[in-house]
Amino acid sequence: MKKSNLKQEIIPVIFLTFIVCVSVIFLYATNSVTEEYIENTKNEAVKAMLSEQFTDMDDYSYDEKLDYYTVFLNNEIVGYAFVAVASGYGGPIELFVALESNFLQDEEIIIHGISVVSHSETPGLGEKIIEASFSDQFNGININDVALSKDGGKIDAISGATISSSAVVETVFKTVKEKADIIRENFNLNNEGEF
Amino acid sequence: MDNLFAIFISMALINNLVLSKFLGLCPFFGVSKKLSNAVSMGLAVIMVMTAASIVSWLIFFYILIPFGIDYMSTVIFILVIASLVQILELTIKRTNASLYNALGIYLPLITTNCAVLGITFINVRSEFNFIETIVSALGAGVGFTLVLAIMSGIRERLDIADVPKAFKGIPVAFLVAMMLGICFIAFSGMV
Amino acid sequence: MKEIIENLKNGIIKSNPVLILLLGLCPTLAVSTSIDNAFGMTAAVLFVLISSNIIVSLIRNYTPQRVRIPVFIVIIATLVTIVDLTMQAFLPSLSKSLGIFIPLIVVNCIILGRAEAFASKNKVPNAIMDALGMGIGFGIAITIISFFRQILGTGNLNVFGNEIFQAPGLSENPMPIFILPMGAFLVISILLATLRYSGVIKSG
Repeated sequence: MKKSNLKQEIIPVIFLTFIVCVSVIFLYATNSVTEEYIENTKNEAVKAMLSEQFTDMDDYSYDEKLDYYTVFLNNEIVGYAFVAVASGYGGPIELFVALESNFLQDEEIIIHGISVVSHSETPGLGEKIIEASFSDQFNGININDVALSKDGGKIDAISGATISSSAVVETVFKTVKEKADIIRENFNLNNEGEF
Repeated sequence: MDNLFAIFISMALINNLVLSKFLGLCPFFGVSKKLSNAVSMGLAVIMVMTAASIVSWLIFFYILIPFGIDYMSTVIFILVIASLVQILELTIKRTNASLYNALGIYLPLITTNCAVLGITFINVRSEFNFIETIVSALGAGVGFTLVLAIMSGIRERLDIADVPKAFKGIPVAFLVAMMLGICFIAFSGMV
Repeated sequence: MKEIIENLKNGIIKSNPVLILLLGLCPTLAVSTSIDNAFGMTAAVLFVLISSNIIVSLIRNYTPQRVRIPVFIVIIATLVTIVDLTMQAFLPSLSKSLGIFIPLIVVNCIILGRAEAFASKNKVPNAIMDALGMGIGFGIAITIISFFRQILGTGNLNVFGNEIFQAPGLSENPMPIFILPMGAFLVISILLATLRYSGVIKSG
């Protein structure tokens, strides 16, 4: 009696486990096939964004651990870039932030420019963050001026889309400060012996 | 602190799961006309959403990403939700039999509620930290319950009202949802 | 043979999953902002629906009753992940537009519903036809809604990058409300009411 009860309990579990194993195999296989293509698409996108920001560049490198890109022209560093995610009105806003390389030597952090990679903001309103009239305001701006005009900064918000605008501004300010410190530290660490 | 409040309000009102993200529509329209049932359902959803968000966040950032298997997230997340719903179902069955009977089939249906699975994805894609994830899930659940309660109250009245035959039932419910959506846009001025 | 055609017709008209059974509303309303999205989503749903119906039907005599729902869920989740990865690799822009609604196909009530209500109780050819019918029914519903939302919301009809049609007057002054959630609710409300009024669907 007890034996048949045990059988009734065990068989469904074994079956489910079997199905799960088969699924995992299929998923692993699919992932192996598609991984390369997804990686390529991502690299193409990164290259396009870097070229958009740094019109003169011939090479770039990516620090995987610290998550930032170093941009080169003729083997000289012309700038840095990284991805930041802002919490926008309609969902996450993915930003690509480019920095000038001067902050390594002096204290001032200058933003080279920003691009909006993806967003779910309202068409006609928050969506305007992708327009040059908004994003170009970040070209060459000093980090200390990165705030909305109503808060004493130099960025004019999009009328009717304060939330989208401030989400971008706040995230740029916060992440640029963090990343600049990280990059500076990493640079000093790697070039210690050279001075 | 400011940030957490903003996330809560955003998930509950401005980016309400039902009215602006199209998640959780099935239970929204199938909701009973009894307010108390709608609220009970809402509370159950809040519990599952929060628990599922926590567990899936932990699994995603401590297991899936480090091992490079984040493509397993869809499968893992839905299994987490299904298990949590089972546990919730058993707990309610044992502690409050009348509630169990009242909720009926809607309890296991929380598993297929796109709002629950949806919020787990939103949390990891927005790259929230642990606390932000909990606040986001709570906000989303509260917002969902709020809208469910409002809808349930309105449907009670609608049943007695004189609605054109073609619109009776679901079509007029969609119109109500549309008007609720327009009202909720007003909340965007809060943050 | 006749039975199989019946299954097909059932999904498209008599039991249209979206318009009659009111299943799968979430992706239908969320994704119907353009015809491109509608086609993309329909293709994804068709693939998952047909595959899952086939698999569930094949193993229907071996699946223990107690674990059938978790088993269906694992099968559907795996198929959805396969579609998700394939789309990310080969159709990246579509993958981006459809966003989280691709993985959310897992909880699309149409797929789990058909697996449970039909595929687990019927032979494979019938299951395939049912899936095909339901998928096409879904596709028709979502395309109709997208058509109205895209024309009224943007004034143009762009399909796969080809501009097919420009509504005079609307092109310069579109009504973006139709792209927003409230527009979706409005369109489907009127669509359902119209179908009932014209007798295609019964009221109630």
